[in-house]
Amino acid sequence: MSATGRAIIGVDVGGTFTDVVAIRDGSVQTVKVPTDAVSTELSVLHGAREVGVADAAIFNHASTHGLNAIITRRLPKVAFLTTEGHRDILDIGRCWRPLEGLTNAGWRRPFGDAARPLVPRYLRRGVRERLTATGGTLIGLDEVHARAQLAVLRRCQVQGVAICLLNAYVSGRHEQRLRELAKEELGAGIEVSISSEVSPLAKEFARASTTVIDVFMKLIYADYSERLISGLEPLGFEGELNFADCAARLVPLDVAMEHPFQVVFAGPAAGTRASAHFGALTGDDSLLCCDVGGTSTDISVVTRGDPYVSTTLELEHDLVVNALSNEVSSIGAGGGSIVSVNEFGELKVGPASAGADPGPACYGAGGTQPTVTDACLLIGIIDPDGFAGGRMLLDVDAAVKAFDRLETSLPFGARIRQAFQVGLHNIAEGITNVAIKHGLDPRDYTLMAYGAAGPMLLPAVLDLIGARDVLVPPYPGLFSALGLVSSDLVYGDSRSAYTVLTPDVADDIAAVYSEMETALRARLADDQLAVAEFVRSFDGRLLGQTWETPFIDVPSGPIDGAAVTGMLRNFHLTYGARSGNTFEDLPVQGVTYRVQVRLPADKVQYPRVAERAQGSPVSLGTRPLRYLFDDEIEAQQYGRGSLGCGDRIEGLAIIREGLSTTLILPGQVATVGAFGELRVTRKADRG
Amino acid sequence: MISQEPRPAGTGRLRDLSEAEFAARYGSDRFTMSVLANKMRFIVEHMCGNLLNNAFSQILRDWYDFAATISGPPGADYPMAAVSNSLAVFFGTMADGLRNAVEEFGPGALRPGDVLICNDPYRTGTHVNDVLLTRPVFRGGELVAFVSLRAHQLDMGGPVPAGFSATKRNVYETGLVISPQLLYAGDRPVRPAFNLILDNARYGSLLLPDLRTIYQNLKLGERLITEAIDRYGRGALASAIRYGCDVSAESMTAAIAALPDGTYRGETLIDADGVDASREYTVRVSIAKAGPNIEVDLSGSSPQARTSINASVLDTKTAIGVGLKYLLDPDSPFTSGTYRPIDIVLPAGTIASATPPDGAIFLYWEGANPVLAALLKALAAAVGSNAMGGDFGSTTIHSGNGVFADGTPWVTAAQCGGEHGPWSATRHGDGDSYSVNYQGNNLDPATEALESDAPVVLLRKEYVIDSAGAGYHRGGAAVLKDSLWLTDAEHWSSPLQTKRPSGFGVCGGDDGKPGAVWLFEGHGTTPGAASGLLPVDDEVYARSTPVAGLLDPATKARDPEHGQYFYFASTPIWRTAPGAIFRYITAGGGGWGDPFEREPERVRCDVRDGYISIAVAEHDYGVAISGDPENDPEGLRIDWLRTRALRDRSEGRTADGTRPSLLRLGRHSTNKGSAPGRWMNSLARGDG
Repeated sequence: MSATGRAIIGVDVGGTFTDVVAIRDGSVQTVKVPTDAVSTELSVLHGAREVGVADAAIFNHASTHGLNAIITRRLPKVAFLTTEGHRDILDIGRCWRPLEGLTNAGWRRPFGDAARPLVPRYLRRGVRERLTATGGTLIGLDEVHARAQLAVLRRCQVQGVAICLLNAYVSGRHEQRLRELAKEELGAGIEVSISSEVSPLAKEFARASTTVIDVFMKLIYADYSERLISGLEPLGFEGELNFADCAARLVPLDVAMEHPFQVVFAGPAAGTRASAHFGALTGDDSLLCCDVGGTSTDISVVTRGDPYVSTTLELEHDLVVNALSNEVSSIGAGGGSIVSVNEFGELKVGPASAGADPGPACYGAGGTQPTVTDACLLIGIIDPDGFAGGRMLLDVDAAVKAFDRLETSLPFGARIRQAFQVGLHNIAEGITNVAIKHGLDPRDYTLMAYGAAGPMLLPAVLDLIGARDVLVPPYPGLFSALGLVSSDLVYGDSRSAYTVLTPDVADDIAAVYSEMETALRARLADDQLAVAEFVRSFDGRLLGQTWETPFIDVPSGPIDGAAVTGMLRNFHLTYGARSGNTFEDLPVQGVTYRVQVRLPADKVQYPRVAERAQGSPVSLGTRPLRYLFDDEIEAQQYGRGSLGCGDRIEGLAIIREGLSTTLILPGQVATVGAFGELRVTRKADRG
Repeated sequence: MISQEPRPAGTGRLRDLSEAEFAARYGSDRFTMSVLANKMRFIVEHMCGNLLNNAFSQILRDWYDFAATISGPPGADYPMAAVSNSLAVFFGTMADGLRNAVEEFGPGALRPGDVLICNDPYRTGTHVNDVLLTRPVFRGGELVAFVSLRAHQLDMGGPVPAGFSATKRNVYETGLVISPQLLYAGDRPVRPAFNLILDNARYGSLLLPDLRTIYQNLKLGERLITEAIDRYGRGALASAIRYGCDVSAESMTAAIAALPDGTYRGETLIDADGVDASREYTVRVSIAKAGPNIEVDLSGSSPQARTSINASVLDTKTAIGVGLKYLLDPDSPFTSGTYRPIDIVLPAGTIASATPPDGAIFLYWEGANPVLAALLKALAAAVGSNAMGGDFGSTTIHSGNGVFADGTPWVTAAQCGGEHGPWSATRHGDGDSYSVNYQGNNLDPATEALESDAPVVLLRKEYVIDSAGAGYHRGGAAVLKDSLWLTDAEHWSSPLQTKRPSGFGVCGGDDGKPGAVWLFEGHGTTPGAASGLLPVDDEVYARSTPVAGLLDPATKARDPEHGQYFYFASTPIWRTAPGAIFRYITAGGGGWGDPFEREPERVRCDVRDGYISIAVAEHDYGVAISGDPENDPEGLRIDWLRTRALRDRSEGRTADGTRPSLLRLGRHSTNKGSAPGRWMNSLARGDG
């Protein structure tokens, strides 16, 4: 129930399905509708109609629509203007090759001209001008030359322009003037993003890339949100419309549209946020969050209650965006991952996926290659009649035929068993790599299992990764969307200016914070101001470094000499803790100054599940599981809705609910918690 | 000393082993071995990622000029099981370099908490600036593994700030040599060792924090390995190191066996050394392949050069391993096991195996990259459509230095020359235009980071039209860099392959155009004085001072066929006043396959995108295009009838053998969507 008594709505638009959750009167209503690939807002409106939005105070929205447009290159036509002589910034990237490309003649920079550029070279054009590293003018902006370039863009009918001039992180004056010229030459309606406003950080590629993504998102989301708003109106919606950013923080729509690159990758972050919020309820503050969907598994980390936040985001290899984001690593392993046999006769699972169309063979929509879902169906984990809440009937024969078709000498049963196990190992390896990257020990972590296929597969990786236990939250199939009703409203701002920190510059830093905080205050209503929590931090580095140590605490209150001394002390402490060294003799350079205003927002409150008055869980009957073990074994089946707090179910068992199935293996036991969550542990651990 | 990997008993392939056989060989199960092998690869990545983000000197923080490895203990002969995703030239030499350093120091003398350093190219490969730091990992009092970082130090003494020069004549000029010794003993810094470095090298204020940061990351690697041992056991780690090497060995062995038997030869020419232009140097590779065996012989190569463009035996060994991986076995992890099936014959004292004191080594890659290029040429026919052409060849490194107005020194190394450039096309598609050479993997230093460190403005950093080797798949385009120097400065410029196209084409593809270097003085450094950018057309060179290349003596523009060779070290040190501009143009990448098979639509896109001109589209690709690419890029049109005529005429060329057709070489496995000959269909449909 929300504090105001009005409903709160969360919508997570994925590539395949759009998930809608409504929190109303203490209950959670969930709806899953297919995503309309052409007009995604129609799916959102479809879901909104089903749950009702007339009484909603808040409508929170996350979408992978923008990211999908980038990945598929189904993009509006935009141009990139930069300093003459540097048009190839976007092709060069940071030049780095990934491990799989190290000695591989087939690797190409994925966004390069030899592969799939975001902006073709003829629309990347140089303008005669040049600022120096200290902001001086070496070559003045040549307006005649600039207009000539813009005339070419006009002829090509570009819809937007990204402007990133060299050294514009020091001064944006040439970029601002160039934007005026662009509006004059291309019309006032043209969308223009300039790097000195979008992300005024040094190192031109990341800034240019962020600016290009920003103008794409402006074009993609501006129209979209207009259509969304006008579609919600007839449904009686009168509340606030918020977008989730890449860290799943909620931002009012109009603020989000000022720099929409920050919402390019919102969906997966919401799952991390949902995990953190739910973990706080169950007392689990260290989580490996694992969202197993149709085509991929997204893995992220919550430590001591907070999602791991990164200051940059890679949309593809080296395609960097300077956006705060929950770090989510994605591997090509999901329910739709295709099972195949390679040239050495090895059975492989993924990374290719059958996606939603045609989908696994058992969907009967024309898929001929077997997938993990087909294996689960043939094993007996999935009920052919009860899939997706009974909305979809599965074709067992099609799944059998697909496995028959594999060119391997393996007997039929071994094909299914290996497909299942290889799929599990792929996910386990992905989780293990994330754990090492963050230097954490999985034994201290709980594996949060969600996404439609998560509860079915993740309990089985418990021993492969050595996590403490597996937690299946309520509504696992729509859990990511619950992240959108698990977050506070956050207004954030940041300014970048390279300043060596000494007490002498206190006034300069105070001015930066004052400017940001005054603007933020102006956005807030009086009742919001009363509860608003301002949090300052900065990204800094030791003088001589070019990479920042992010999120150093900045004292609240007036910024004077003592406050700067406090910033320096915090920097050295944090640097020492993160890197193992301290260099207190070296000057510290402040780079990015951040303010966040956190406004407590209505969040989901999970309904409690009563303890069972008497008796023990009632089985729905048994079901034989084939291929998984040497012999066919009967599994007890339970309906999740019938379970009570404190119930204990030993494997082998299957727990069914509307959109998901949880598989408990022999040697494992699931206990039901206060919110209906299933905690899967090794029986041995429980004595 | 180069070690030959021991070949294990039992020839059963890993994938054919039953679980019981696998357990008998490794004392562990398959899953644990693959998890540990994977874990080691992540450990080295973590060591590197953390060093990058905390480094001070530009060569580490903006170039990623370092690598990390994990090796097994002396008793197992130091097998190197994991390397980081960085420069092959580094990690390729680290297995042997580490063994040499530890053996000389004495493995028994190492204690927990020690860090061993060594930077001698003849002992550990590469050059003196690349200091190899090794941390022994002990468990239960026993030495069980090593973690190593090799990281480029911005300076290691000698006459040239930052060190990069092709003109150093002997080991006494290349910089400080550090024999194997401790930098940390029992986790305490060894003061004399630090003093040795800081008393002899420039920029100590960057070196000291960098060395301390490297030390922390060695400790990080040690901790992660120790945790893995705690969890899986010491025996499992030892087995996983062995398993990791066995996987690479098996993969390379199978790949070599699939190569047709025969003897294959290739060679690469280096223009000159830093003494005078009288001697060219040739790297000759002869490869004998019979059954499962392969022998790579460099016996016919030139004697070592008189200045610092030589490679050591370890650099050459690396180049051979990397080249064979590219062509035959790209996917398996690189470990010391990669070399198990490879024999190398390498006499001492060649340009690829220099010896001290006269065989100076600094620009070691200029000796080693030609080994890789010669190997690619040698095997081009044998590997068929998998052939790989040449990259931009010489790294053509530039370094500049001077002092700011307040007297503080500045230096920039490997940022303003031809350090990045194109790769060749392959059967997979066109080549990328901007990469480091085939043996490297680095970050590209941001122009903005460069300009905030040094008084230089990079006026241009962009691709050159009509520079790429034509082909069914086009090579990457050459990179042009114009650097404007704002103060007095001195420069070393080292372009070593301008006489021949280093970006050679394969499978009927053309060579890319050779590069060149020029100096323009008196450009002005203030808004009024600076007359904008230097034009890129050929007329501009008449007023230049040539630095290197085959140039027309009058116009000083490039003329690869009839030009005169301008020798880079005719002026060993270029001293310039404010307003000087160096222009570097790299070589273009080689093409793959017959350009007359390239779909006209792709040719039109190349014209639209400024990769080729209308004239080259017609001459090199047989595609007639009309329009104004600069001002109306979307208005370009293909003249289908003329294109058909041009391409029909080219059939005659094929017959006389001057341009072997891709189709005649046999159908190659290309993507369905881009199969050669498909343009014919569009031609048949097209009405012009």
